[in-house]
Order: sequence, then C-alpha cells, then structure tokens
Amino acid sequence: MSGDYKFDTLSLHAGHVPDERHGSRAVPIHQTTSYVFKNTEHAAALYNQEFGGHLYTRISNPTVAVLEQRVAALEGGVAATATASGMAALSTALLVLCSQGDHIVSSSRMYGANINLLENTLIRFGITTSFIDPSDLAGIEKAIQPNTKLIFGEVIGNPGLDIMDVKAVGEIAAKAGVPLMLDCTFNTPWLLKPFELGANLIIHSLTKWIGGHGVAIGGAVVDGGNFDWGQNDKFPTIAGPHYAMDGINFYEEFGPAAFTAKFRAEGMYNFGPSLSPTNAFHILQGMETLPLRMQRHMDNTTKMLEFLCDHEAVDWVRHPNLADHPGHELAKRMMPRGAGSIIVFGLKGGRDAGRTFIESVELASHLANVGDAKTLVIHPASTTHSHISAEAMIEGGLSDDMIRLSVGLEDFDDIKADFEMGFQAAAKFAKTKD
Amino acid sequence: MKHQLIDTQIHIATGGRSFSNDGEALVLLHGSGQNHLTWVLQSRYFAYRGYQVLAPDFPGHGLSGGTPLESIEDMADWVIALLDSLDVKTARLVGHSQGCLVAIDATARYPERVSRLGLIAGALAIPVNDQLLTMSDEALGKAISVMTSWGHGPMGHMHDNTQPGHSFLGYGKRLMTSNHADALRNDLKACNNYSGGKASAAKIVQPALCILAGSDRMTPIKFGMAMADSLVNSERVIMNGAGHMLPAERPAEVNVALRHFLAS
Repeated sequence: MSGDYKFDTLSLHAGHVPDERHGSRAVPIHQTTSYVFKNTEHAAALYNQEFGGHLYTRISNPTVAVLEQRVAALEGGVAATATASGMAALSTALLVLCSQGDHIVSSSRMYGANINLLENTLIRFGITTSFIDPSDLAGIEKAIQPNTKLIFGEVIGNPGLDIMDVKAVGEIAAKAGVPLMLDCTFNTPWLLKPFELGANLIIHSLTKWIGGHGVAIGGAVVDGGNFDWGQNDKFPTIAGPHYAMDGINFYEEFGPAAFTAKFRAEGMYNFGPSLSPTNAFHILQGMETLPLRMQRHMDNTTKMLEFLCDHEAVDWVRHPNLADHPGHELAKRMMPRGAGSIIVFGLKGGRDAGRTFIESVELASHLANVGDAKTLVIHPASTTHSHISAEAMIEGGLSDDMIRLSVGLEDFDDIKADFEMGFQAAAKFAKTKD
Repeated sequence: MKHQLIDTQIHIATGGRSFSNDGEALVLLHGSGQNHLTWVLQSRYFAYRGYQVLAPDFPGHGLSGGTPLESIEDMADWVIALLDSLDVKTARLVGHSQGCLVAIDATARYPERVSRLGLIAGALAIPVNDQLLTMSDEALGKAISVMTSWGHGPMGHMHDNTQPGHSFLGYGKRLMTSNHADALRNDLKACNNYSGGKASAAKIVQPALCILAGSDRMTPIKFGMAMADSLVNSERVIMNGAGHMLPAERPAEVNVALRHFLAS
C-alpha cells in the first residue's frame, strides 16, 4: 500500500478483509442477535468498552460494522453508526445531543419528516427549534441562543433544492461553539465531503443513493471527529461524567470519537434503532457501485434538465445546476460534479396537469423514495410533505404544482419517451377540462 | 485526571478508574504527535484489571497544557518528575514508538524507578527524513496525513477496525490534529536528534518485552529486532501484517502479550 485508497476502491472494500477461517470475499451476513462470550471477564470487558467487539446486535453487528466503516471511510470521518433508517439516525443523534430545555437552529427548507420531528415531536420533550432560511446566514447567526446545541440543515434541501453554504454555516457554528450537523442524503460523499468544509456530524438515509436499489431501508450518523466537545459547558454528558460505565467521560476517553461512543453507549442501548444485518448487506451491495451510479445519475440529470427546460409543456424547472437557481454559484463551487439528481418542476396546467403526468408515465415510478437506480416521480404537496403546515410549505418553497423527479439510470432516450407520453396525456387532460 | 506538574496543568488518562499510588504504576508513553488516545484500548483494559494506569499527555499534547518538550532526555526527565509528583516510587513503563526512546532513556538513567519495560513498535534510534521534518514545520496537515498513512498496515487502510464503525485513518488524523501545533515538529526533531538509544539499552537489565509489527513502515521491524537484541533481558512478540499503530490495530493481541509479560 503506497498511499490511502481512493474513493472508488473504498466503495468496494472499506471495512472488510476476508476472514482467515472461511475467506469469504463478499461481506458475510451475520444474522444473529448475540455473540458467545469467551468467559465472564470477556463479557464484562465488552460491556465496559475496554475493547472493541460485539455483544448484542441492538448495539453493533459485524455486517453492520462493515457498512459503518465504509461510510466513515467515504466521508473521511472518524466513525459512523448505522441505524434502521435515516430518520432513526437523525432522531437518535438529536436525543444524544439535546436535553430538555435545549434549542436547535435549523434550516426551514427540508424534508417534511425532518421538520415534523423538530417542530412537533421534540417540542413535547422541551427541545425547541428556530427555523431559518438556509441562505440567510445572518438569520442563522442571530437565531443562536445560549441554550442552542447545534445547527442543522440539508446541503441540498428536499424538495426545494435550496443549497446551504456549508463553509459559512460551519464558521457560524464554530464561532458559537456548537456542532453543525447536516443531512447529506441528497449529496452523498461522491458529490461533497462536508467535513472538509467544517461540518461536524453527517446524517444519511442510506436507503437513497448510497443503497440505490430500493430494497433496504437504512441510515447512518457519521462523526467528523472535528468538534471539540470540551471547549465549553454545553455538552456535560459527553465531556463530563456520564451515567454509563462508572461515570465515563467520553470526551477524555475517546477523544475525536466521543460523540460516537456516546451514540453507541446511550443511543443504541436505550433507543435501539438498530439496522438489520441483512439490510446492511443489501446496502453494501449498492455502495459497491456508488461512484459509477452517481456519474450516470449526474449525466442523465444534465440531459433531463436540458430536455425539461426546452419543453413547451413545462412551466418551470428548478435545479441548482441551472443558472437561474439562487444557489447556482454556490452549488457549482461546493459540488463541481453536480448538485444531485433531484429535479423539481411544474407543468403548464398546474397541479391537475402534474397529477395526470404522474399517473400517465409508465417507466418512471410513482413512489415515495428518491435516489433509486430507477427514475421516480412524486407530488410532494400531497405526499411526502403533506403533514407539514401550510405555512411551513410556503416557507419551505413548496408549490402546489411541484413534481419531484429523481433521475434514474435508464437509457435517457427511454426516460425521455416516457416523459413525452406523460406530457401529452397532461396536455390532453387540460384540453378536455377546457 | 487533571494534575499540576510544576507550572503546567496536564491530563493523565487513568482508564476510567481513580489512580492510587499504592504499588507500581503502569505508565503508558505515547509516540510522536500522539497523545493519551493512542492507548484508548489499553488504559481502560488494564485499569479494570487492577493496574494503576497513567497514560499522560506530554506537554502540548492532547488535553495537557504547556509547550511540547524538545528532546527525548527532557521527556524522560519529565516522566520521572511526574512519578515524583504523584509519589510513585517504581513504575512499569510501556512506550509506543517515540515513547520507547523515552522509556529506554528513563530506565537507563533512573534504573531504580523502573521495574519493567514494554516497547511497542520501537527502535533504539528513530531518524526522521528531512522531507517529513520540513513538512511538520511548514505543512502540518500534510505531515499528519502522511504519518497516518505510513503508520497503518493493511487492516488500517481497509478500515477493518475492532471497534465497530471506526476508521483508523480518520481517527488517527483527528487525534494528531488535536495537539499543539508544534507538538509533531518538536517530537520528530527530538526523535531525529536522539542518539543515546544504544548506550542506554546497554545499561538496562530490567525485563523488557518488545512487541513488533511485521508491516511497520515508521520503525521497520529490523530496527525493532536490533532493539530487542541489545536488551539483555528481553523477549519479543512479532505481529505479522500489522502496521506501526499496533495499540489500535491489534489491541487484543497487544493487551494479552503485555498482560502476560507484566504478570510473569
């Protein structure tokens, strides 16, 4: 080994070396709940985090650990912990960081479930959130209170595709002595490595581009190891005695991986958001081709943008790669390979035309997912974001006619033909209606 | 624990247990640009097996204040001063890499204070190439990346970690980044300038265990073998396929070997 392995190699190999006894080249599925201890001392030592290893699959699992190590390697983090879903990663991370009376500064332009968690659920536990437009840097800084514990946002907002300036917001967070946690589902480490710009914690829905096949739900929280938890008194359960393990101080004992140690010892133990080993295996199969798929996603996105922008049936198109997007220059600078493969657009004829289009396409699937190898379409206002308030929808940049398109890997001519069919159906419907 | 040593507040990891100076201490000495976190999988392990563990951050490293020391001899004196300040009469010194030089120098000059030596991925001399020395002065981030890369063996580069979800390289870089900006440069210069290893080793009669890494690119195994050869009362354990960062890469094997040696 003459240097560190590169992204494409890590996507295939990181986290796994074939075991000496069986030599299994593929990552084995350790479909087990528990692990036989060598003796009582060994058992006690595992519980006490005296050495690494597995004691119960709710806490960790060898197959899941390969996935975690691969995600950590691709992000350039110190560690990752996988969870049953992206929402499990986010909710557990927030509960590991925050206590009653704490406060979060969050982007107002995010996935509906992210907003719901912060706006309607955490508030019941005494954790409040100020929602700010992610492009309003002064507003973000102003919203920070003495009890603020983190800044949270999405690099590419879902579905409005607002771009957060990671470096600038990272500087605001660093100045305030709080971590910047980002949902990086839409950008994946292939498009952007946010730790290099000052982010401290990353949330992924692994279900999306990282898995890419639509067969397994999973999530992860990645620890950048670049936040000093002991710099102030904001995080007493990380940089002070914790109830677990004789009053362990995670900051002193685990240094850059203090957050992960607490996430594992408290989050995984007490909330149990574990990822199934079989799902971890499925997601690993997807990760192997992440760089290849992302290149194709971006190639097809470029073609699709050209197609939609030129089409007479299309009223408007939004994507950060387009020059008229307010975050275009920022996106170009942060993500030179492209700003993801989600496009939102509206049809002439509004919501009804959009509904007809979604119901008429045959190759594109109408479903509640993104980042699949297959092209997907959905109407966010009536589905993924239907549980958020009308005010939050407006604040989040959601319009009633918006169609969210997740560009897949099919031959572009076939997607194009499918969309032409959908546009014709929408136009026909509009004429009938007239 | 926090401890005031002369005019500097220093941090000493004690493996999650209160330290008692009743009996011999087990002192874990980190390497160049490292800190107490080198021993994250040793300090807790030994503390919970009855050892009185002291894994100090040298000045300017980890959570210790002060500025980094400039020579191996100064570091050895500092270790003895630390023992004095804690009223520890004798200790078992375990060093990693540069920590081996410190342990050897301290044992040769203060033989009555050291009962046993554990030397992990060490050598009697650790010359540092000019390019790395310059890099540590002018491009610290690059020097850290290079050392982290060289410091890990094949398992490390594959991120195949015994601690679920952890990345050797990611953790290694962040650990080194958390030190005082001068820590790595001073450490590397101290290693490069130290020439007393051979003479010191010749004076040592205490039992010593040399744990050596088969794929060590920082202190190649032939130099570790020479170190073991020069210690009259030594034994050696070789871990094939492992890189320089043995305490992290092969924690179970290192701990078992050390425990067996310390108990014998």
